[in-house]
Amino acid sequence: MNFIKINCMLLLAVQSFSGYAQEVHVDSSKQLKTVEVSSSRLNLFANSNKTESFDSTFLNRYSSSNLADILTNESQLFIKSYGLGSLATSSFRGSGASHTSVLWNGFNLQSPMNGLIDLSLIPANFMSNVKIQYGGAGALWGTGAVGGSIHLNSSAEYNRGITVSTNTSFGSFSDKQQQASLEISKKRFITSIKLFNHDAKNDFPFINTAQYGKPEQKQSNAELKEYGLLQENYFQINKKQKINTHFWYQFNDRNIPPSMTQNINVSNQKDELFRFTSEWQRKGEKVNTFVRAAYFDEYLFFADSSIDIDTKSRTKVFISEAETRFSISKFDLLNVGVNNTYSEASTEDFISNPHQNRVAVFASYKIHTKNNSWNAVLSARQEFLENKAIPFCPSIGVRGKFLKYFFIKANAAKHYRIPTFNDLYWAQGGNPTLQPETGWSEEASLEHLYAAKHISWELSATAFNRNIDNWIIWLPNNYGIWSPENVLQVWSRGLEYKLKINISKNKFHFQLGGFYNYVLSTNEKAATPGDESLGKQLIYVPIQNAQGNMTVSYKGTSFTYVQVYTGYRYTLSDNTKYLKPYTFGNISVAQAFSLPTSKIKIFAQLNNVWQETYQVLAYRAMPLLNYQVGLSLIFNQSNQKSTINQ
Amino acid sequence: MKTKQLFYLSVLTVAITFSSCKKDDPEPALGGGTAGTSYASGIFVTNEGTFGSGTGTINFYNRSTGAVSNDIFEAKNGYPLGNIVQSMELFNSKAYIVVNNAGKVEVADGTSFATAGTISGFTYPRYFLGINSGKGYVSEWGAGGVAGAIKVVDLSTKTITGTITTGKGAEGMVLAGSKVYVACGGGFDNDSVVTVINSNTNAVTTNIYVGANPKSIKMDANGKIWVLCSGQWDPTYTFLISPAKLVRIDTATATVDLTLPFASTFSQPSSLVTNNAKTTLYYSYSGGVYAHSYAASVLSGTAIINRSFYGLGVDPTNDYFYGSDAVDFSSNGKVIRYNASATLVDSFAVGVIPGNFFFK
Repeated sequence: MNFIKINCMLLLAVQSFSGYAQEVHVDSSKQLKTVEVSSSRLNLFANSNKTESFDSTFLNRYSSSNLADILTNESQLFIKSYGLGSLATSSFRGSGASHTSVLWNGFNLQSPMNGLIDLSLIPANFMSNVKIQYGGAGALWGTGAVGGSIHLNSSAEYNRGITVSTNTSFGSFSDKQQQASLEISKKRFITSIKLFNHDAKNDFPFINTAQYGKPEQKQSNAELKEYGLLQENYFQINKKQKINTHFWYQFNDRNIPPSMTQNINVSNQKDELFRFTSEWQRKGEKVNTFVRAAYFDEYLFFADSSIDIDTKSRTKVFISEAETRFSISKFDLLNVGVNNTYSEASTEDFISNPHQNRVAVFASYKIHTKNNSWNAVLSARQEFLENKAIPFCPSIGVRGKFLKYFFIKANAAKHYRIPTFNDLYWAQGGNPTLQPETGWSEEASLEHLYAAKHISWELSATAFNRNIDNWIIWLPNNYGIWSPENVLQVWSRGLEYKLKINISKNKFHFQLGGFYNYVLSTNEKAATPGDESLGKQLIYVPIQNAQGNMTVSYKGTSFTYVQVYTGYRYTLSDNTKYLKPYTFGNISVAQAFSLPTSKIKIFAQLNNVWQETYQVLAYRAMPLLNYQVGLSLIFNQSNQKSTINQ
Repeated sequence: MKTKQLFYLSVLTVAITFSSCKKDDPEPALGGGTAGTSYASGIFVTNEGTFGSGTGTINFYNRSTGAVSNDIFEAKNGYPLGNIVQSMELFNSKAYIVVNNAGKVEVADGTSFATAGTISGFTYPRYFLGINSGKGYVSEWGAGGVAGAIKVVDLSTKTITGTITTGKGAEGMVLAGSKVYVACGGGFDNDSVVTVINSNTNAVTTNIYVGANPKSIKMDANGKIWVLCSGQWDPTYTFLISPAKLVRIDTATATVDLTLPFASTFSQPSSLVTNNAKTTLYYSYSGGVYAHSYAASVLSGTAIINRSFYGLGVDPTNDYFYGSDAVDFSSNGKVIRYNASATLVDSFAVGVIPGNFFFK
């Protein structure tokens, strides 16, 4: 990701230009300020993809939540959660958990060992905005961007003075969270630090329908403790050059609760991560150049005394990337870049500690009409894994505006996912001859955006199609040894509808929104002779899911209601067993008091208000009504005039 | 103007909907169990169930009608068996169902399958063996999967009354007279003994060294005991540092009187079973099923069935051979039947990861 210095005019231009017209609440007070915003390849070259965006105002409503909670309630993704505070992964349009690339400041956070990232370990308040790109985008983001990608971004505003904020909350099942942040924002320099601490017992009561007599039990072995730090700096070296750095430290200590069919579980997982990214950019008259690097050093400790396991694994990823962006004529924009990704892992579960180096060259070329109402983007990436070429990965997309309020988007993109270290090197059974999973995804959207003085709305319908070949699964071979093979071929297709209406007048604001998805994701190739999963829906992919939400606010008071519906999910690959649909409702209320230099907010979040008993995954208990209440304080001291004129 | 726009949008939306909804009925067609009324005579198949958080199940195959009842425990009792159903034994008209990862043994009536209580307190239990009307043994891997033991169970109170320490990873058991022979397959580690227990006193009489990681154990028509040792991997799991072996124990002397090593350095034999007369042993090995006469002193080089199975069984009433196929390990499995001369008869669908059989 990179940042460009723009004023509000340009901000608005870029936003509508790149399809983020849904961000209708532009704070008028920011209009003349200098803001650091993301202008990554996502904004410039992915505007034919369907995207969703959660800005800081929105994330602020979920200040005591993690990313998995937010996406469960608000996004069109299906989040596979093992329970309160437990592992949560995403499924984009019927893809697998490792088919989502999660990028922080443009760098892929997927573990080189298993291709996953646990979304429940990402604190919402560490991100300035979260953007979700649907569809494959291998040309832009490389391996893993198969179902879609989640972009976690930072942004900051110059010349805001000193801002101190705290956030404290208490919730059900002994949930306690504290957050604090300090930001010093000068005309050419911003430095900030954010801290968080979170403890919870998560010992919620539930009826165990999987035991004799259906006893009421309390969730056991579910305690968690986590804390972290985010330190960010932005510096304008001169008119043309800027540099930024980001450092994210986090420690998580979680016990892993038993399922309803196990009686006890004594396992514990600790994760410790050090993530560092930095970027230098030079914005010239004609050419913009970006050089960036990231280093991720992550530890995972897993212990289960009942099976005599106490392992430690460590992964190190070093990514460097350079790209340059310029226009050849008035009607185009070209971006070319090179990426080098080195990863290594050390664990007792591999025969030797593997390492891997990948080099990729990528380019995007956009042509657009004079007023930007129509544009087309051609992108491509060629990646080399240990000097061997991975299949060439192109994409093409078109976006156009017609009849004043209508937009049409269409794209076709190749995608791929390289096998993980576990797939390649696990002892025993790792298969070093595995090929990358590859395929194409296509989508077409029709959007209707309308905005008037007091009312705006957005309607969209998207149809998608996606094939994944060489899908890797683990099965025992003829000798009974479990080993991964490039076996399945998965065909996903579906429809997505979305609606959002905003009405604002004076200090009254009303928003109504919702979505509905219909997704078929079927296996098209038998894994073994007589495989009954052929032609059947993949497990844990709901065919239907829907959401409705409403927010009413007046002055500092706001009320939000969200209702989420998830349809049938099969639990066996031959579709002979399933989990029933569930729906739950959440309420959040907040009252803010604004004083000249500070703001106080009291908030409450009530989850599952209608007491729905449900399971996201089979025999994993979920809590009934639960709540969080909290208080946040923000204090801001503006810069003196002399600082501004510096 | 606005009406016109909405019209365009709805036309497009409808067009997209119709063009892509090829599969009209996403509703699940099947779920839950199908109960028979009684299970007087036939074959019980234990299915481990999906990994992680799933539940195991039991199917009943009616030998005379060919009818299969699914998930007969939950269908009768309204709750699932639990995570990883390892094995089942019928003893004194009660079914003892060993649920490995839930650390329990569910007890049910052997004919109606109505629950008769739960015996809990095990750590990775594997198999049940009835000793007498009041006493049963349950083999278990124990804490950490490395503390092999036999748990002594009082069958009337359904409680654990004692622990007999064995080699690591206690697995299959055979009762020969008053002695119980326990194959100690290593659990999450390695071991190479058969532990012999006096079932009257619950005391270990001896440990017989047989070969690396003995897992299954059967008695033949001569009263000798055969043990299938699966061999031991080198630390990098690339070859068997200690080969797999088929070993015979003379119960009169409690010593090994025949050792037959397997040639392969990476294929491990498993699932030792016998015919009704106990004159032929069968086992899975290297992608096939092999037979071994109890009188033979060399291993056969030719498979009688060229197919690998997850679990094996032989029906004592007709010597039909049952092999289970777990297919993709995340959907319902199959049981394939062969007659006594290893000719394919038929197959039927069972639950997820079918592992063991009990013939009634």
